[in-house]
Amino acid sequence: MLLRLPPSLHYPITVTSLLKQPGDAVERDEALFWYVYQTTVTEGDGLGNKVEVKRRFPTKFESTVDGEIVQWKVAKGDVIDEPVDVLEIDEPCAHEVQFGGLCAECGKDMTESSYNTEETDVTRAPITMAHDNTTLTVSKREAARVEEDAKRRLLSNRKLSLVVDLDQTIIHATVDPTVGEWMQDKENPNYQALSDVRAFQLVDDGPGMRGCWYYVKLRPGLESFLENVSEMFELHIYTMGTRAYAQHIASIIDPDRKLFGDRILSRDESGSLTAKNLTRLFPVDTKMVVIIDDRGDVWRWCTNLIKVSPYDFFVGIGDINSSFLPKKQELGPPGKSGDKPAPKQPKGALEEHHVNGATAKKGDQTEVSALEQLVTMGGGDNPRLLQEQSDAQEESIMHQVEDRPLLQKQRELDAEDDAAESGSDSSSSVDDSQDLNKHRHHLLEDNDRELFDLEVRLEQVHRNFFDEYDRQKSRGLGGRVAALRGEKAPSKEKDVDLKLVPHVEHIMTHIKHRILGGVVLVFSGVLPLGTDTQNADISLWAKTFGVTISHKINMRTTHLVAGRNRTAKVREATRYPNLQIVTTQWLLDCLTQWKRLPEGPYLLPVHPEDRGEPISPGSKELAESSWLSSSDEATGGSLADEEDLSPPPGMDETSLVFYDEDQQAAVHEELKEFLGSDDESESDTDTPPPDKLPSPTKKRKRDEDESSDGDDEETESTGDEDDSLGSRLSQRIKRSYERSTGLKEVASAGVESSTKQAANDDTADAPAAQSQEASFQEPAEDDDELEREMMAAFEDDEEEEVANENG
Amino acid sequence: MFFLKEEIKVITLHPSYFGPNMREYLINRLNEEEEGRCTGDHFVICVMDMVDIGEGRVLPGLGQAEYTIKYRAIIWKPFRGETVDAIVTSVKPTGIFTLAGPLSVFIARKNIPSDIKWEPNTVPPQYTDHADQVIEKGTSLRLKILGVKPDVAAINAIGTIKEDYLGPL
Repeated sequence: MLLRLPPSLHYPITVTSLLKQPGDAVERDEALFWYVYQTTVTEGDGLGNKVEVKRRFPTKFESTVDGEIVQWKVAKGDVIDEPVDVLEIDEPCAHEVQFGGLCAECGKDMTESSYNTEETDVTRAPITMAHDNTTLTVSKREAARVEEDAKRRLLSNRKLSLVVDLDQTIIHATVDPTVGEWMQDKENPNYQALSDVRAFQLVDDGPGMRGCWYYVKLRPGLESFLENVSEMFELHIYTMGTRAYAQHIASIIDPDRKLFGDRILSRDESGSLTAKNLTRLFPVDTKMVVIIDDRGDVWRWCTNLIKVSPYDFFVGIGDINSSFLPKKQELGPPGKSGDKPAPKQPKGALEEHHVNGATAKKGDQTEVSALEQLVTMGGGDNPRLLQEQSDAQEESIMHQVEDRPLLQKQRELDAEDDAAESGSDSSSSVDDSQDLNKHRHHLLEDNDRELFDLEVRLEQVHRNFFDEYDRQKSRGLGGRVAALRGEKAPSKEKDVDLKLVPHVEHIMTHIKHRILGGVVLVFSGVLPLGTDTQNADISLWAKTFGVTISHKINMRTTHLVAGRNRTAKVREATRYPNLQIVTTQWLLDCLTQWKRLPEGPYLLPVHPEDRGEPISPGSKELAESSWLSSSDEATGGSLADEEDLSPPPGMDETSLVFYDEDQQAAVHEELKEFLGSDDESESDTDTPPPDKLPSPTKKRKRDEDESSDGDDEETESTGDEDDSLGSRLSQRIKRSYERSTGLKEVASAGVESSTKQAANDDTADAPAAQSQEASFQEPAEDDDELEREMMAAFEDDEEEEVANENG
Repeated sequence: MFFLKEEIKVITLHPSYFGPNMREYLINRLNEEEEGRCTGDHFVICVMDMVDIGEGRVLPGLGQAEYTIKYRAIIWKPFRGETVDAIVTSVKPTGIFTLAGPLSVFIARKNIPSDIKWEPNTVPPQYTDHADQVIEKGTSLRLKILGVKPDVAAINAIGTIKEDYLGPL
């Protein structure tokens, strides 16, 4: 080791004599050489005056380490102006591996410090390397050596490293005791789905959660996934759960410890409770590491990450170990995500039913601005915050145990079923209701396919990596062989050359960029106002696929991703012929499936009035079909036949001629319904401060008054809303059942279709269609309909403008 | 090394425990709090007997009674150079983690004989000389302590098996 002068000396110094010769053994704090330095001091001159004089002081320089002197780098008489290396000392132990403040090799205490200590020996081994132990630290050199060994081994086995997250990536866990009860209850509609749920009890898990039972659902196909993937990858677990939790999960998914061994890292050893860091496991380089996780933000979207769609089996539970992480935010405006549909409508049943599919994907998109994230992460060191967070974690666990969110949901579901049943009972034959009875909705669905796709993707990465490696190697060999004239190539063949190892990051980036490269996106109504569009999670995620996010629509823009309809940007986008207006689902599906999906099924229904040209032909039908199909796509095509019923968009240009005013109103009515949840939330937020947007609200009020005054029937319907709504809905449900048998499973689709049919078939049904509207407390006659529609549009406009002004 | 040590402990008793079983209660408290405790310097293995429970003193203003108990306990203080038997808890490329009773001992790669090599490809991974010596999780080892470092509530130690008669048992 080279001994360097500390910067604290009084430079310049002059070396006056060397006390030790090469070969001498020195101990710590032993004098090495004499030097003199000059400084000004204040002295008394004997008469009471103080005089500043320059003095030279001789001083010894003492060794800071033990060892044997190898070579002096300075000589007697040298003048040294700045910190330089003065001599080389051969240390008996470099303290490269330390355990709990001790050198693991010589057993010396590393935390000792004295007046002579520049920096404690602890700093020589700063890297925590072992998965399950934080007391063991190693130096950079040792870490590099260990890692190099590991890489050689992996390369010769043709494997890469794969870091696997647990919660919501390969499993889903909950502490809701309802699961345990359902698992016992063969009658329960969820029994089937819960058949392979495993349970374990964590005893030593902090106060208040003593003996809490955890229920773990493995993601479908997990066993074969791990089996196959472990052929190509060495697997590591990296979870935000506690050590005990991780161990339990590991013994469930890998009972023989063949796959993971003890390569398990939990939050106890992670070093940070808010972020995951690859250098914690791979301190030197991450060339051969791939990560799978359902959250990108905790990894700061590092390039090794393959983000998977979160596994959300226990509906509404989320990640039980994420209390420490930055909050997940809903994608899109609140109320739109469909996670919490208006429970009065039977539609709620469907939405909840399908949380595993489309709606969950939307709700679970992590949306945290970079700044917020930084702030939250920075807070990780604050002990008080940590305490609060761990309290919050405990509390949330307790809540789950006590509140039983699953039970609540199933009850809601049952209640909705009952409502629908009783409705149909009152008006229809008995067998109809029996049919319904058999089909009691179950909350939990077991239809996740993510792991199968993921396996293919990992295979692709693995293949590309080793293709590239082999190419590099053969090229390297060829060069060398040419140079050395055919030296024994076979022995070289076996040797792995670490210099040739390609970066898996580059390979993944390459693959991903091929998917959405060249796409220029503009978001509209996807991110909440005030979010940094460049650094929102969805943007960061998209960017890893080569997508460019721009702020304004221009000629280069290829896609507009719209979270809701009728925004200013949508209107603007219609003016560009080559610009595709797609729903958020398109982007999400592309990102999760690693494919550039055709935009066709995801096209956003553009409102006729938003088009530059006069009413676009069949826009309503287009709206209908594309909307349905886009939600279809994710929910498993249960609505396929319904979709077929609706004519293709181009076909009914002629039918448009027959639209009279009433029908058109009905059309708008329906569009409103699609945007219903959106509008609802807006009106909810708008109405409380009426002075904010005075004219439209007043106008609407007046409209309401007029309509209720003018039309008795309408008043009746509002008055009896609560009573009549149920029976009307059930009537329509019944009608829809009569029409298409395939729809029995999904009551809400029936509602939609019945509304549509009602509007098209006869105007007599129009009031029935409006009872849906009545739930929005906007009863109105047909004529008022258009006006109100326009007002709503103006409102939207105004809002959009405000949004634009605010940035 | 094990010692029989006489120690003193002060226990404060809430008035609700004043009664016929007070002595029993004090003994229980003492056993509960002391046995298995790591002082940072040594481990208290077992409380042998009470030498003197002493007279309780009621604290003014609180009503609680304070007992100063003298007791004898078997303690274990690990020393450098001591040879102990330990069980392997996990093996890593950098070394072996073991537990000698309550004491965690780490054996660095340098302190493992050079013929015993790291073998990551087996399940579970192990150190082995490809003959009769196999060190994996659960193996019993005899090791010599190279250094001991007291911490607040734990003791860490470094060990070696690179000497005669050390290694797997």
